[in-house]
Amino acid sequence: MNEGIYETVAEWIPEKSRVLDLGSGDGAFLERLTKARQVLGEGVEKDPTLVTRCIQRGLVVHQGDIADGLDQHADATFDYVLLLGTFQELIEPAEIVLEAFRVGRQVIVSYSNFAHYRVRLQVLFRGRTPVTPSLPTPWHRTRNLHFLSVADFESFCHESGMTEARRAFFNRRGPVRLLPNLRAETAVSLLVR
Amino acid sequence: MAADHVNPSSGDLQDQQVAGYQSPLGITQTTTVKLPGITTDSGFKFEAVEVNYQTLGKLSPARDNAILICHGLSGNAHVAGTHAQTGRPGWWDFHVGPGKAIDTDKFFIIATNTLGGCAGTTGPSSPNPHTGRPFGTDFPRITIRDMVRAQVALADHLGIKQLFAVVGASMGGMQALTWAAHWPDRVRICVPIATCTAHNAMQIAFNEIGRQAITTDAQWNGGHYTDAHFPAHGLAVARMVGHVTYLSEQVMARKFGRRRQLDAVNKREFSVESYLHHQGDSFVKRFDPNSYLYLTRAIDEFDLFDHATPEEVLRRVHARFLVISFTSDWLYPPVQSRELVRQLKRAGIAVTYLSLESDYGHDSFLIDNPPFANVVRHFLNAEYHPAAGHSAAAEPVPAL
Repeated sequence: MNEGIYETVAEWIPEKSRVLDLGSGDGAFLERLTKARQVLGEGVEKDPTLVTRCIQRGLVVHQGDIADGLDQHADATFDYVLLLGTFQELIEPAEIVLEAFRVGRQVIVSYSNFAHYRVRLQVLFRGRTPVTPSLPTPWHRTRNLHFLSVADFESFCHESGMTEARRAFFNRRGPVRLLPNLRAETAVSLLVR
Repeated sequence: MAADHVNPSSGDLQDQQVAGYQSPLGITQTTTVKLPGITTDSGFKFEAVEVNYQTLGKLSPARDNAILICHGLSGNAHVAGTHAQTGRPGWWDFHVGPGKAIDTDKFFIIATNTLGGCAGTTGPSSPNPHTGRPFGTDFPRITIRDMVRAQVALADHLGIKQLFAVVGASMGGMQALTWAAHWPDRVRICVPIATCTAHNAMQIAFNEIGRQAITTDAQWNGGHYTDAHFPAHGLAVARMVGHVTYLSEQVMARKFGRRRQLDAVNKREFSVESYLHHQGDSFVKRFDPNSYLYLTRAIDEFDLFDHATPEEVLRRVHARFLVISFTSDWLYPPVQSRELVRQLKRAGIAVTYLSLESDYGHDSFLIDNPPFANVVRHFLNAEYHPAAGHSAAAEPVPAL
């Protein structure tokens, strides 16, 4: 995922926050947060090999899917729940975000923007499901279940009673400020209720 | 990790002939020490208890690197290394030794035979001081907590105020949980493996079949049997039932299927029958029927939350946890470990959990199992910070 997203999220999270990282992978990001921001973190990861890498880094980690990782915890256990790069793969993203707000006070979500101009051009001129740097996998192998745009995410938040307290957009060249729905490849939002 | 990577079909190394397997530790010994008596949960006062134990590795000058290993129902203090008399490796030799999951180059390992056992620690086959004959069924009822009391007495004897870790699987996992809940200041890391906080009806049922096999053996004599009149058949049947529950359908299909072989009297029997007979026979040579009754009873009676709610019990806990279950373990299924993890997390305790893919059933922790070994090794190494402060390991992540 975009390095800018990690830097942005690390900036948004105050020191010593309690953080649940859903889909923590090999734990590299959570370890960075732990060292740079002294957060009290916990990872959730399905793949036992990646879980073992998290353990090697000294992280607390739960092997299971995201719903299971959330279900383990009492209400309001965390300051931040992170859904970085996993949001589009969730079968029921609305239910997961709701549950994330039970376990945490704020939720940070990142996703790929399906309305990026390169995607639009591929659909329009080639008539094919797009394969782009931010959507690199062909349709039959992608783990993405949902294809959404910045505009879609805005209305999703509005309809779900959430506010995007902070947002950041990126493409390959760096941060995007103008016309994000057209120019951003990836987006990250800090959600509050 | 064992260099030759062998997978016995099931059971621990004591009951298996694993071709070419040699313990890197060489010959190891166990010792028996007489400790000040304990009072059991049932109110019985032992004037003294003898505890048979083994230590491996060196205790650090700060006395902060001790790991207690708690065995399951049929284990003993001979955890690793080659037994001087039998020539057999210890029951967890795959995972305890130099550079292994529980590293004897780094940690001071203590393994005890449990109270109520029959391998050197006070149990039903020990002499009753009042009669000079074995206690038999005059032995008091004991609990998992009583077993831990004997281990605590040994830790006191060894001058260890706080264990770095308590690691145990199955019945040993219940002991590890009891340490963390009832002696919270004396354990930093708790590693319960393939265990639960209380037996369910199915688990009790299988134990009861084993107990019935023993107590209905014509030689049982109310528990006051002799070597000449010994309820060997009942104990063997109990072990056979136990063994089935430690395996899985997949491993039995692979190992035995419907294959047949000739038995001792040249009768063609199913390989699985022959295997169970062998397991039963070898168990009878090293285990006491009354111990089987007392230990299974203590396991069935165990309930971590019997006198208080999980919140009340777990509020006291200081230890950080690694909980492991195995996907094909139907005796102690992952759902029980997950429930434990949920209770721990909801009490604010730092817990790492894995349900490891394995088709070896409950025995998955006993076999040469590199993914399991890696998890245990990395967890212990990441959590251990020598008092001298020269560790290169990551900073500990505080509990939430």
